[in-house]
Amino acid sequence: MKWIIGLSVVLALCGWAQPILVGFQGPLTGPWAVEGDWALKSVQIAVEIVNARGGILGRPVQLVVEDDGGTPKGGTLAAQKLIAAGVKFVVGTYGSMVCMPSSELYEEEGVVHINYGCTRVDLSARGFKYYFRTSGRDDSQARFFVEYVIPLFGAKRIAVMHDNTAYALGVAEDVLRFMKPLLDEGKVELVYYDAIMPGERDYTPALTALRDAKPDIWYYTGYYPEWALLLRQGKDLGLDWKKIKAVGSNACPISEAVKIAGLDAVVGAMITQEPLPAFLVEKYPLAKEFVEAYEAKYGPIHDSPWATYAADAIFTLAFAIEATRSLDPAVVAKYLRSGQVIGEGITGPLSFSPEGDRLGVPYMLLICTEEGKSALFDPAVHGHLVGM
Amino acid sequence: MKWLRRWQGLLSQKPLRLAFLGLVISFLVSFPFWASRYWVDVGFYVGLYALLGLGLNIILGEVGLFNLGHAAFWAIGAYTTAILNVRFGIPTLALLPISAVVAAGCAWLVSSPIIHLRGDYLCIVTIALGEIVRLVLINNPGGLTGGPNGVVGIARPVFLGHVIRTPMDFYFLVWAVVILCAIGLRQLQRSRLGRAWNYIREDEIAAEAMGVDVRALKLLAFVVGAALAGLAGNIFAAKMRMVSPDSFTFMESCLMFCIVLLGGMGSIPGTILGAALVVLFPEIFRPVAQYRLLFFGLALAATMYFRPGGLWPRRRTAEILVGQTER
Repeated sequence: MKWIIGLSVVLALCGWAQPILVGFQGPLTGPWAVEGDWALKSVQIAVEIVNARGGILGRPVQLVVEDDGGTPKGGTLAAQKLIAAGVKFVVGTYGSMVCMPSSELYEEEGVVHINYGCTRVDLSARGFKYYFRTSGRDDSQARFFVEYVIPLFGAKRIAVMHDNTAYALGVAEDVLRFMKPLLDEGKVELVYYDAIMPGERDYTPALTALRDAKPDIWYYTGYYPEWALLLRQGKDLGLDWKKIKAVGSNACPISEAVKIAGLDAVVGAMITQEPLPAFLVEKYPLAKEFVEAYEAKYGPIHDSPWATYAADAIFTLAFAIEATRSLDPAVVAKYLRSGQVIGEGITGPLSFSPEGDRLGVPYMLLICTEEGKSALFDPAVHGHLVGM
Repeated sequence: MKWLRRWQGLLSQKPLRLAFLGLVISFLVSFPFWASRYWVDVGFYVGLYALLGLGLNIILGEVGLFNLGHAAFWAIGAYTTAILNVRFGIPTLALLPISAVVAAGCAWLVSSPIIHLRGDYLCIVTIALGEIVRLVLINNPGGLTGGPNGVVGIARPVFLGHVIRTPMDFYFLVWAVVILCAIGLRQLQRSRLGRAWNYIREDEIAAEAMGVDVRALKLLAFVVGAALAGLAGNIFAAKMRMVSPDSFTFMESCLMFCIVLLGGMGSIPGTILGAALVVLFPEIFRPVAQYRLLFFGLALAATMYFRPGGLWPRRRTAEILVGQTER
């Protein structure tokens, strides 16, 4: 019996010493090199955190990094390189068009592929078994507005305004799509749905129409220059931004709007935004740990939601492998698809739909405080700004 | 660099040339059986860029027309395949000749009005052409090109019941096309047409004075070059199973230009060698990550410094024409 114990000790030691290879594919060169750099640094910090906690199944994680240059061609080469290196779990990449051909290779080889910066809706509609994403989709923002923001304020009369650009129109159409069941049941009413012309100086006619529609909440899906003007001219026209909750899209940074419209017009206005690490620290302990480790090593934290999602991809793998106690990609992928919450990452609870989409809505609502800063909306703290 | 010249001299002897060709072909055929999947994929891209380079070589190398917008024809070929396959379900492989014809037709259409321009002026117009095509694709005319998102879901090509899907399949597909094209171009080089092209490159006025239809032949060069790019576009779309405008940037046109200059203007083996270098350099310098484009540029500059005529320039030999009467 002694030799069996001896052998198992040796095997266990070998197993312990052997690192688990995790691939990282990202645009380290090319037009998106900054995003790639942030993502790589974030992933490295996440790996350090995982290893400091004893690794996965007691084994350390080792990153295998490949650059895809932000092109579809580079993506396939990087994917082949990672597959040839024997990697069974990959985090990557940024850009839906880069992701698409690479993810086919991973799928064929049975490599768990967790995306962090690709939001195209149809990426998850291909019936893949090994494809996941920690980020949202192009329609997540609209969904967040309908499923979180509207009930939060108990809004009944909804106004949606866009500017006919592809992006703004897309968000507005998605809002309508997600709102359809509510509209059909008569729970909410669409009192205003129209477009403005971007680049104009005077939006009084549109604002008059908006005022006459008497909405509870007004969602502007376009960009910040028009949003700021609308807020300013609306206030001058006597629209009460406490009665009508003004919500802008993620293309409306609050700091820019304050610069254009002045603080008095923007205070209390809100925007829907992907989770930025600076706001996540208040909410999730892991985010705090991550940001502290990042800042200690690389200086001030980036404000890229995508790089944050990349770090969360590492935690997703760590949680899933620990839970299944298996390094078999098929087992891990099956577990991830189950839809249950596998753990709390930097951007909140991690769970995935059977298609591989991130469940729950990884978005947040930011509000312009009295000091003109953006803050995570908290009804208890900021309720008075929006008349709650 | 003397050894290279001597090497080329050796190759002009027929038995040696045949032996060398045999060696190259057996290497190409056996390569995917002993190399890793990754290197097979790299081999595929060498073939793809060789095809693009061969196309540009006709325009730039044979006729001496500066074309910095060759990626436009590549894009047209790729989008033809993508749109016709996704919308109408035409098999991807059947679209190979159609893509070439459409790209050639577009080349004829857009280069007819600009063909009289010379040197740098033509160069500027072709840059604009490349950008216009890319912007048109982004703007999604008639909902056909899918805008910045491109077209996805292109079916895998099927050859005699065999689905082309692995890197090895694509490797053989692209190299089969490259070798067929190379044989065709070799015949073209030695034909009356090839000599007329070279004549235009060396002295346009003299060529015209000798009765060469300069305009028609220049146009023909554009058309044939674009057709090869269209072929490459079809294979690229089939491999990626999606096309998007960001694959066909100005950078790609520059790379093709580099391939022809590096390899040697007007030289078929040179162009294939150039394609190999342009694809391999960034891959070899992968470990140095963000510096790899720096090394790539340095390598290009060094090559041009030490071998300004290209790595494998076309040898100017007196072609002895044996007439019927002398036989």
